[in-house]
Amino acid sequence: MEQCGSLRKEPLQACLDANLKRIREISGGSTDIIIREVRIGRSEIKMAILYTEGLADKKVITDFILESLMLAIKETEIDLKISDRSHVSRVLRDFALTVSDTNEVSDFDGLFAFLLSGDAVILVDGSPCGIAASSRGWKDRGVSEPAAQTVVRGPRESFTETLRTNTALIRRRIKDPHLWLETIQIGRVTRTDVAIMYIKGIANEKIVQEVRDRLKRIDIDGILESGYIEELIQDKTFTPFPTVHNTERPDAAAAGLLEGRVVILVDGTPFVLMVPALFAQFLQASEDYYQRWDFATLIRQIRYISLFISLLVPSMYIAITTFHQEIIPPRLLISLASQREGVPFPAFVEALLMEITFEILREAGVRMPRAIGQSISIVGTLVIGQAAVEAGIVSPAMVIVVAITAIANFVIPAFSVGISIRMLRFGLMALAASFGLYGIILGVIVIVLHLCSLRSFGAPYMSPFAPFHLAEQKDTLFRLPLWALFSRPRAISQNDTIRENNEHPHPESKQNS
Amino acid sequence: MRKPITMACLFLLLLVVLTGCWNRRELNELAIAVAMGVDKKDNDYLVSIQIVNPGAVAAQRAGTDTAPVITYSTQGTSIFEALRRTTTKSPRKIYLSHMQVIVLGKEVAEEGIAKVLDFLSRDHEFRTDFFLVVSKDATAEEILKTLTLLEKIPANKMFHSLQSSNTAWAATGKATLDKLISDMTSEGKHPVLTGITLDGAKDIAGTKENMQRIDSRALLRYEGLAVFKKDKLVGWLNEEESKGYNYIQNEVKSTAEYVACPNGGNIALEIIRTNSEMKGKVVRKKPEVAIEVRVEANISEVQCNMDLAKDKTIRGLEAKAAEKIKGFMQQAISKAQHKYKADIFGFGEAVHRAEPGFWKKAKQNWDEEFVGLDVDMRVDFNIRGLGTISNSYLETKEE
Repeated sequence: MEQCGSLRKEPLQACLDANLKRIREISGGSTDIIIREVRIGRSEIKMAILYTEGLADKKVITDFILESLMLAIKETEIDLKISDRSHVSRVLRDFALTVSDTNEVSDFDGLFAFLLSGDAVILVDGSPCGIAASSRGWKDRGVSEPAAQTVVRGPRESFTETLRTNTALIRRRIKDPHLWLETIQIGRVTRTDVAIMYIKGIANEKIVQEVRDRLKRIDIDGILESGYIEELIQDKTFTPFPTVHNTERPDAAAAGLLEGRVVILVDGTPFVLMVPALFAQFLQASEDYYQRWDFATLIRQIRYISLFISLLVPSMYIAITTFHQEIIPPRLLISLASQREGVPFPAFVEALLMEITFEILREAGVRMPRAIGQSISIVGTLVIGQAAVEAGIVSPAMVIVVAITAIANFVIPAFSVGISIRMLRFGLMALAASFGLYGIILGVIVIVLHLCSLRSFGAPYMSPFAPFHLAEQKDTLFRLPLWALFSRPRAISQNDTIRENNEHPHPESKQNS
Repeated sequence: MRKPITMACLFLLLLVVLTGCWNRRELNELAIAVAMGVDKKDNDYLVSIQIVNPGAVAAQRAGTDTAPVITYSTQGTSIFEALRRTTTKSPRKIYLSHMQVIVLGKEVAEEGIAKVLDFLSRDHEFRTDFFLVVSKDATAEEILKTLTLLEKIPANKMFHSLQSSNTAWAATGKATLDKLISDMTSEGKHPVLTGITLDGAKDIAGTKENMQRIDSRALLRYEGLAVFKKDKLVGWLNEEESKGYNYIQNEVKSTAEYVACPNGGNIALEIIRTNSEMKGKVVRKKPEVAIEVRVEANISEVQCNMDLAKDKTIRGLEAKAAEKIKGFMQQAISKAQHKYKADIFGFGEAVHRAEPGFWKKAKQNWDEEFVGLDVDMRVDFNIRGLGTISNSYLETKEE
């Protein structure tokens, strides 16, 4: 890293050849860095145009840089002006270059920053200042449909791997000059662009500052995905619950901004981060606000029920069938008992076996090459659904338990919380197997206490359940009609809390019309 | 760092210490007992226990050749001992929480059921929502060794049959352990239990043959109420008296009655709603009890020519029916007063509620007092509906 240190301080020299030599030296003569040496004007000034092939748009370089320098300025006033030689780069920037954005570079560090981001760098012989002309343009995937967070009704756009596209997708939704954007580079080697977006006046200044500070503290060689940032800035490492929210939907990010959250975008990934994150937020989906409120409320509650089903059903089944048979209605007990006839394992081992099998299938389904994906589901249903039951290794009731658990888990809109629940389930199953319902209750108490102790960037994680705010319940277990969602969540920001001023909508009375 | 670890250790310790009952059993290690019978045999108890054979009952494996239940009968000086001795025959430990019915043998009932009830209420495994019945003309063992159709598990048959006959016919009584014990220990009331009997061929009752015939040759049937004096069986009420008893107790939900038409034939009435109130009072140092029964009924069957559209006809029917119900109640009361000398109706409790001062003196010899007790009965009978047709077809034919 010594080279980097020296590089940071090393200024450009006046001699073009020396500069080019140094550039070749630093980049190891990489073949995708193109150096085009030209002579322009009547005075035949030596210049070099550098760009990275693949990152720079060749059309911009030929049409707006090379053409304007080599052809357009011939025999013009500019040509006369540059013959002076003392401030060639100034004149070129001001009069000749027909590109949208130019910057001045004065050292090798800056030069490479522009060059490797796709800009063209123009070096003039005799001047220690270079010009970086914007020419970024590379192949990207384009805006496509979200893969993980799909909706029935709502925008079909998803973030992409290009930071600029992503910021544009958010800007398209919030056309307010107070939507502020700050960009920093993180990663000693990767120098990844990381952008912070927030709405000035709505977001809490302290949280914005905290985000800035935490990002600045990061010292790592590379950032390849926003997950890196998430792990390096989260409040608590040893917790199964995520304290940073992520989304691939621009509309969800815009909604987060409007609630006063800070959005962190990382170049190279379609997943953007939102802080502070509240637990209730992980059970909200953007579609909740696009569908009618009554339906959204029903779905919301089904999600909360599913959360408990996926967390508790296997452990409840174990506890009740091995410790508390007296609370099962007689007919159900007899039916369960008959299913368990001949099953060689205790209920806990049986449950563990099935849950682990399912986790393996699920993981295999994710990693599988897409073409084989379908065969996995067939093998899965056959192996665990039928063969295991017919072989008498597991009881049919257990298959139902595992299936309902798995399906309930997919109902949770945030994958990250789904994972937490998946992990905690195993702990609760062990507690249930050794202590029955008593163990489950204790386990749940511990989980609730832990959840209440969590904070995300200063906001209590369980807010508005604990601390309880009656007014904030409007968007948790229920999703009240839009005209009743008048204020922003107070746990996130206390600035400008009133969102809207709508009456209960009704037909206008005749007097007014 | 030390603090969380200490807390975790403490927590784990508490988890182990505070569990209380800790009994882990897999479902296939349980012998689920659904019915229990207690008989007397050479000064010992003969305990019969009916255990579900889950494999034969489950819907998916229905139609197998094994019996749906197994009944083990074991002798012991105490019920508990007999139950534990059963494990020498049963591969699994008996699990008592899902008991549906307990059948008390006639001899045990005559000797006194308090000893049996002690185990039932002391043992922690029982869920006290099972019904208690007394076997009549058969031993409890024979009752529990009878296979039934429709409900494959005989205990379920007994349980549901008692429930449905109680709501639709009203000549049986649902007695749970709590109710029985509270009646037994009360000073102003004696308990009753429903009787169960086995009709038909006892020798094939427990064989597959009994389940393969369209008319089961051995059939379990509820019959009458057993009258107890404290915890000892003293006699039986017949069907009409049982109904009368239930009218007094406000236990009739629905039943069928009939009254005779003036010109031959009968009219059947469906009782749809009843409500009865019992009030005690003391007049000139003599206790008296007043019973007021309100009955609502629909006409469900007409076998004679009568103009039901006339108000007078209906009033006449109402008066007749009221007399009839009054008769049932009178029958029950006089049998309890003169034959058994046991206040099974709780008249003593009614007097107690009305005049606690008087009761203090009267309770010592309440049984004698009960024999000469004046009971004033009033029945308010109302016919609410005629069904889907008005007059009988008999009338139109004659015209």
